[in-house]
Amino acid sequence: MDQTVAAEQYDVLVVGAGIGGMESALKLGDMGYKVLLVEKEPSVGGKMILLSKVFPTLDCASCISTPKMAASIHHPNVTTLTYTEVEEIGKAGADGRFRARIRRKARFVDEASCTGCQLCESACTVAVPDQFNADLVARRAAYIAFPQAVPKKAVIDRQGSSPCTFECPAGIEAHGYVSLIRSGEYEKAHRLVLDATPLVGTLGRACYAPCEAQCTRGSLEGTLPIRRLKRFIADQHAASGEELGIEVAPPNGRRVAIVGSGPTGLTAAWQLARLGYAVQILEAAPEPGGFLRLAIPSYRLPTEVVERDIDNVRALGVEIVTNSPVRDLAALHEDGFDAVLVATGTPRSAPLGVPGEDRLGVVGGPEFLRGVKLNEPVEVAGRDVVVVGGGNVAMDAARVARRLGAASVTVAYRRGRSEMPAHHVEAEDAEREGVRFAFQVAPAEVLGDAAGAVAGLRCVRMQLGQPDASGRRRPEPIPGSETTLACQLVIGAIGMAPDTAAFATLATANPNGTLRPDPDTLQTGVPWLFAAGDVVHGATDITRAVGQGRRAAHMIDRFLDDRPMDGFDLRLPAVDKAAVLARQAGYAWRGPAADATTLSPAPLDFTEVEAPLTEVDARVAAGRCLDCAVCSGCNECVAACPVEGCIDLHARDEEQDIDAGAVVLATGFQLFAADLKPEYGYGRFKNVITGMQMDRLLAPTRPFNTILRPGDGKVPERIAYVMCTGSRDETVGNPLCSRFCCMYSIKQNQLLMGALPLADITVHYMDMRAAGKRYDEFYEQAKAMGATYVKGRVAKITEQPDGNLVLRYEDIEGSGTIVDAEYDLVVLAVGVQPNLEPGALFPEGDLTLDDYRYVAEPDEDLNPGATSIAGVFVAGAASGAKDIADSIVHAESTAALVAAHLERARLREPEPEAVPA
Amino acid sequence: MTANRDPREVIREEPVMRTRILEAVQAEARTVPDIAAAIGVPAHEALVWVMGMRRYGYLREIKGSDADGYFRYEPAGRVAR
Repeated sequence: MDQTVAAEQYDVLVVGAGIGGMESALKLGDMGYKVLLVEKEPSVGGKMILLSKVFPTLDCASCISTPKMAASIHHPNVTTLTYTEVEEIGKAGADGRFRARIRRKARFVDEASCTGCQLCESACTVAVPDQFNADLVARRAAYIAFPQAVPKKAVIDRQGSSPCTFECPAGIEAHGYVSLIRSGEYEKAHRLVLDATPLVGTLGRACYAPCEAQCTRGSLEGTLPIRRLKRFIADQHAASGEELGIEVAPPNGRRVAIVGSGPTGLTAAWQLARLGYAVQILEAAPEPGGFLRLAIPSYRLPTEVVERDIDNVRALGVEIVTNSPVRDLAALHEDGFDAVLVATGTPRSAPLGVPGEDRLGVVGGPEFLRGVKLNEPVEVAGRDVVVVGGGNVAMDAARVARRLGAASVTVAYRRGRSEMPAHHVEAEDAEREGVRFAFQVAPAEVLGDAAGAVAGLRCVRMQLGQPDASGRRRPEPIPGSETTLACQLVIGAIGMAPDTAAFATLATANPNGTLRPDPDTLQTGVPWLFAAGDVVHGATDITRAVGQGRRAAHMIDRFLDDRPMDGFDLRLPAVDKAAVLARQAGYAWRGPAADATTLSPAPLDFTEVEAPLTEVDARVAAGRCLDCAVCSGCNECVAACPVEGCIDLHARDEEQDIDAGAVVLATGFQLFAADLKPEYGYGRFKNVITGMQMDRLLAPTRPFNTILRPGDGKVPERIAYVMCTGSRDETVGNPLCSRFCCMYSIKQNQLLMGALPLADITVHYMDMRAAGKRYDEFYEQAKAMGATYVKGRVAKITEQPDGNLVLRYEDIEGSGTIVDAEYDLVVLAVGVQPNLEPGALFPEGDLTLDDYRYVAEPDEDLNPGATSIAGVFVAGAASGAKDIADSIVHAESTAALVAAHLERARLREPEPEAVPA
Repeated sequence: MTANRDPREVIREEPVMRTRILEAVQAEARTVPDIAAAIGVPAHEALVWVMGMRRYGYLREIKGSDADGYFRYEPAGRVAR
């Protein structure tokens, strides 16, 4: 930590706001010290607030906790930060003070304006286990920790960006729409995609789905069909006839011209129109849509789908003028357009550069595809066709030629199959449709007949040398290896180029003709002129083009609004997929959606080759989502929140340094993980639960409507307790007694007998420890109420087919025999274990832990609460198992020690110099 | 015997199961085992979804359990798609 940076000053830092931490903080605050109380959970209260009642008084835990919880955030001398982690603590200097680094975790909800209405929680589409109900029931990714939470403010469990969403170049919330589909909210899912682009149906068919390559489920049975899910919602929307439902700002009086109506131009127009701009798109071709409409074949992307998407843009009032090539950008500005965006893509074919290229029967790939889309006469039937190139345009051209009746279609590519730039699915599908491949051949000359028409393609065989700048192995001609491919039609698809000659006077161009605006703002040297998409980057793909359109619109809006041209990419970092998978102990098999592509080796028409997902398939497929980032980014919480701007899904954690004269560690304890006693079946037998789970079932804010067993929802009639689960047990490395398991079990016994008067309660124990004021009386009272206490450790538990459980034990005080007893429900009285977090807070390693890894109190007899570091103290169960009453007493004692420490330090300080009168 | 899946996995599926569960109780209120049988899932998984749906307003219990110790649940008004 940087000691030279000014940090906020406190007298005391209290780590942990359970009952011990709150008590120490409040007492020190009462004494006049300035206290910072830091709690990692969204609410103060620790474990106590989650309990039903406390022993031996049977006071309601909530009733007696909440006043202290409220005081801890209202006390004038106590500053409480919830959802905040203390990351490390070190010495601040030579004066004995401490400097701590704290991290305020992003809540994604503004604490000041959140009203605690829980509408966000109700709207949230992600269900996760509720840790505040011991995982017995679901909560939502947006949630308030529990009904008595202090502060009662929502928090959104958002652990970054889901990999699918993070990867999308178009900025589409992939996880969000998958989550909405899972919930059956198809229109909302459609609107979420519309938030990024109007091209929902197009991307649902023709996108190469980089999201799917990142899907965490891909490392299990297979990726989610994220693209096809997008198609599903587009089709659902089209069939529903519903309005778009997109918010559009009122007209702002400004005009923007967009040159080009491909995915970049359409998306930019869509976004600008939503912001209130009057947008006109100028398109050179007779139909709008660029490559979507004039190149991608209908068997992959039906024309009516593109037209529907373009209609989305028109629905916002965008004017699309076709047959309008633009040659003078300055004239547009002079005509009153406040900004102009060039998004003309790469409409030209790169030439083959070989002799004979001008023969009749040589055509560029894009021109060939465009002619077919515009129903222009194309003579293919019966001819042998060679397509030169290995990209997606080459695959499209080859497959289109097959459909037009070519006698044969051969793709000639100068590298090998693995070096082909075409998407592997396109190449595989082309092959399945009867397209042949000639690898490692490069065209040398287009041969002609006497009439000047194509008669063949003379090629040179290539060998692959060292990788070039693209990372692919460089093709090198093999001398004397010439061969001829017989053909009557050659389609050149070796690349595409922009057509920017007319813009070069205003916008800087690269030697290859692409424009060179600022890569972030997309602004050219002329402030009102922007350029984006393939005309800048060369031919890419639809999602990147869409992303460029979004960026251009954002920057144009910023420019025209005279705001800083930033703030476009607000993605949180992608979550770690290994960490996502580690959240579960195992995964059930959930088979991926079957490939729905139907291909013929001799295709005859342009019918769409991929079938849509059925509704059932879509729901099942969406249900496989792992919710990698937990929050899906579906934005339902934002829509539901009544306070404008309260929820910000792009918020970031904030780090802060603070100085304090003393530190109190009140980090509490951990509960024993009951599955470490496999003979008791916890985690395998659904009707074996822990004491904390029973406390939740007994609490007024219980997860179920009453006390039900988790196996089937039955009200249990025979309930057994197994004491000392994980305590006084060398087999799990914990010889210590946990001190309060006996008493909380007795408390639960009494509460159960009150709630379920007909239930039989049996406690299997080693010995009951009820040493405390009125504790033994409490025990006797439970016996008098009818609870049965059986001495003898339970050896094992087995499960019956009906979910009942058989406990095997030795009846030490009765028959002396081995007994099998059957119950509806078994409660494991789990013990406590140390919380290991405090040791990690001190990187210098000078905080000593005891033999059991609790925070050591070296002078425990005379100075309980003091640790191995002068000025660092411990309160409550962080130094060993304590019940609530003992924790409070210990915390108050620690507060006194802290006060003494601070006063001693103050006495050592030099007197402030007198200020001259 | 119960087949166990990770609780997180079961809970995650609640949104997918809502429609089926609401359909199962549409004609008459049912117990958790009856709902589980109707939709073909283990009872302990049905319980998780029923309780999640109860918490968020899709289902409610009918007061008083029947002789076998099971509550019956009915639609509470919130619609699942």
